[in-house]
Amino acid sequence: MDTETRLTAVRFPVWTLIISACVVFIYGMPVLGTFLIYDRAAIAQGEFWRLVTGNFVHLSNTHLTFNLAAFLIAGTIIETRGYRFFPLLCLSAALLIGIIIFEVEPAMCFYAGLSGIVTAAVTYLCLHGLTEKGMWRWLCAVMLAGVTAKIGIELMFGKSFLLTVSTEGFVPAPLSHLIGSVTAILLFALMRLSSNTGHTKTII
Amino acid sequence: MKHKGMSLLTAFVVFLFAATLIGGCATGTTKHATSVVDYLFPDTKDPVVTPGIPVLTLPLRVGIAFVPSEGAKGGRGSQFRGAFPPFQGGVLALTEKRKTDLMQEVVSHFKKYSFVKEVEIIPSAYLKPGGSFANLDQIRTMYGVDVIALLSYDQVQFTDQGKLSLTYWTIVGAYVIPGEKNDTHTMLDAVVYDISSRKMLFRAPGMSLIKGSATLVNLSEELRADSDKGFSDAAKEMIVNLDEQLALFKEKVKERPAEYKVVRTPEYTGGGTGGGSLDLISLMFLIGLGGYFLWIQKRA
Repeated sequence: MDTETRLTAVRFPVWTLIISACVVFIYGMPVLGTFLIYDRAAIAQGEFWRLVTGNFVHLSNTHLTFNLAAFLIAGTIIETRGYRFFPLLCLSAALLIGIIIFEVEPAMCFYAGLSGIVTAAVTYLCLHGLTEKGMWRWLCAVMLAGVTAKIGIELMFGKSFLLTVSTEGFVPAPLSHLIGSVTAILLFALMRLSSNTGHTKTII
Repeated sequence: MKHKGMSLLTAFVVFLFAATLIGGCATGTTKHATSVVDYLFPDTKDPVVTPGIPVLTLPLRVGIAFVPSEGAKGGRGSQFRGAFPPFQGGVLALTEKRKTDLMQEVVSHFKKYSFVKEVEIIPSAYLKPGGSFANLDQIRTMYGVDVIALLSYDQVQFTDQGKLSLTYWTIVGAYVIPGEKNDTHTMLDAVVYDISSRKMLFRAPGMSLIKGSATLVNLSEELRADSDKGFSDAAKEMIVNLDEQLALFKEKVKERPAEYKVVRTPEYTGGGTGGGSLDLISLMFLIGLGGYFLWIQKRA
């Protein structure tokens, strides 16, 4: 299926809208946010759901707006273009971000924000875009290079080199972006691997 | 002739009396002081309060108040030693409004810290002289504060006469020649206490010295202005010192976790809180990508 043909088959971004609605609902209910935020002490006492749900909690209006806008764009494109396993991508990225931050960042008592999942979605979108043709492919390549450079510099300097949501009281967590990106690469590689294997079996 | 001689003698005596009065009226010392020790530990018969281990729940709700003057219950709040009290700056060194202004300066500086949720300015009327920790417990209940910064002050004003005061003999000189030399020494002191554990967390002073001069007539006005400036300057220095002491205290808390317990709540969005957030340029680029996607959707 070429790019133009795929675009005519418009799909509804169900998962993107469901996840976005949940994020807004959680933000609107601060009490709920308290039970869902990544809280290191609570996780250590057995509240493991926080490893996943912490990604869906936000700390301020700006924090929510930036993350949600990016998620809506990336998620809508992914679902509309028919790239598979988007809910699985979100879930696995959320879980891996929670687990790895818990293991690697003992000083981080709380974590919140969708940006790790957004980075996973953007990487996933760009990787799929690379398999397509035309201008779209080049745009995805540039975006992927940008995401890689951004993550690299964030990890090197511990903060974003671009304009950030700087007035927030919390510290940025670039590790979550790296984990999100790696999750997307792994899922994409698994998909390619399984489809190639399937194709080979068919030929045989 | 004898009558004329008597008149001259009387005029001379009156002149001498007036000159003595003018010359002596402006020398003196005024002292205004409040004491945190007097407020917290008024009764020495009571056993010494044993502090517990403070549990600091972040973000903190902090109160700030000036400790009341002992003078309010007939003790030593303000003292004057000099020849002619009405020329001095008056009994009150700090009015309630001035106290609020000074506390507001401190509050606006410390609101920027993410570990401070809010800072409540507590009016002096809510603090009883010698109220001790029982009074602080009442404040904690009323305002919901965990930690309180107690401010005290000590201001001494010296007034001396310079050589120019000789011109007062001309009467006109008392109006136009600044023959009075004033020194205003001020100290503001902030002591931060965790109310429930009765533990002092840290303290920071601020000092200032204002040297001024005045004519005899506007002496009281000048003294008030010097007093005011003294408090302002001392407050500025105290804020700088509070910052330094706060940084040292943070280190102390990290080094001695057994002595200070810190509990972070999800409300606390600083220090140990990480936020997964995107930057503006990434978002703009993504919006561009979305725009292009919409455009080819429409074209198709």
